Amino acid sequence: MTYYELYRRSTLGMTLTDALDEMVTNFELTPSVAMKVLVQFDKCMSEALNRVKAKTTFKGNLGTYRFCDNVWTFILSDVTFSTSGAGGEIATATLDKLKIVACDGRTTSDV
Amino acid sequence: MASELAPGQPAADANAAALATVPAPATAVEEAVDLNVHPSGIVPTLQNIVATVNLDCKLDLKTIAFHARNVEYNPKRFAAAIMRIRAPKTTALIFSSGKMVCTGAKTEALAREAARKYAKVISKLGFPAQFKEFKIQNMVGSCDVKFPIRLEGLAWSHGHFAQYEPELFPGLIYRMVVPKIVLLIFVSGKIVLTGGKKREDIYQAFENIYPVLTEFRKVANPTEENPLAQLTAGTAGGAAAALPAPPNK
Repeated sequence: MTYYELYRRSTLGMTLTDALDEMVTNFELTPSVAMKVLVQFDKCMSEALNRVKAKTTFKGNLGTYRFCDNVWTFILSDVTFSTSGAGGEIATATLDKLKIVACDGRTTSDV
Repeated sequence: MASELAPGQPAADANAAALATVPAPATAVEEAVDLNVHPSGIVPTLQNIVATVNLDCKLDLKTIAFHARNVEYNPKRFAAAIMRIRAPKTTALIFSSGKMVCTGAKTEALAREAARKYAKVISKLGFPAQFKEFKIQNMVGSCDVKFPIRLEGLAWSHGHFAQYEPELFPGLIYRMVVPKIVLLIFVSGKIVLTGGKKREDIYQAFENIYPVLTEFRKVANPTEENPLAQLTAGTAGGAAAALPAPPNK
């Protein structure tokens, strides 16, 4: 079972990678252990995101799209996000540009 | 000067304005339907054109999908890459053999322009794309005769060409032989003409069918056509015939 390494580029993933790098250079960890931690991180992110129940909707103008290698890429402009909070209040946020990269959710556990 | 150029026209103070106002009646005449070509006075509107072209070079669709914009390529589902452009608003199916199908254009010129744009996109990605054997494969036109049509009657009298199965499809399918065009005729008077390779064929097919449509025009206030009237007349007659029956026996 393999997991996407996508989330290593998130803030959380980047800081973890930095910390592991530091420990490896200080000989506190072996590189193979650091790799194992990252693999575990991929798994944990995937599982944690599966548990998320919060929903958000967004709306914008589609500039370009692409579907290649089972990955959708969308570039949107004038995007409005609306997220309903726990108390039912609705928060909105607007962006000039947004890029979405969407991978197949099923392959995470199937592959 | 403007008043000299355009006597009787509303006072135009600039040359350009005068030029714009003077030819106006002429263009209005041109825009009016040429009754020699369209005796019906109705010109079908082209809705879709499908054209093919050969770019005459092998293409790596994955490279195209990865580098060009607005492309879908899912070889598991379909062997071609699907690319779209906004102007002229069209879709192209690009095959690895170098053959391309361009759909969605509204005129012949726009179909060619779109196909050229796709060829340009592909050549910019580094493929030696040429532009060979451009051919229009299909044209679809539509129009509205603005009166309802008795499809049943039409199907009966043109049984050789017409196919009308309201339970399968609400329109009458008319397969004209010359020109070879398929027409979808709806009760509402809306007509779809398809299968043409030339605009003239679409026009000719419509002019051929128009007199037939007028022949099977649904009458506005039909006493005989009204199925309800027929039904009540039938039951009334039936009751009248049934009443004297018992005394006979």
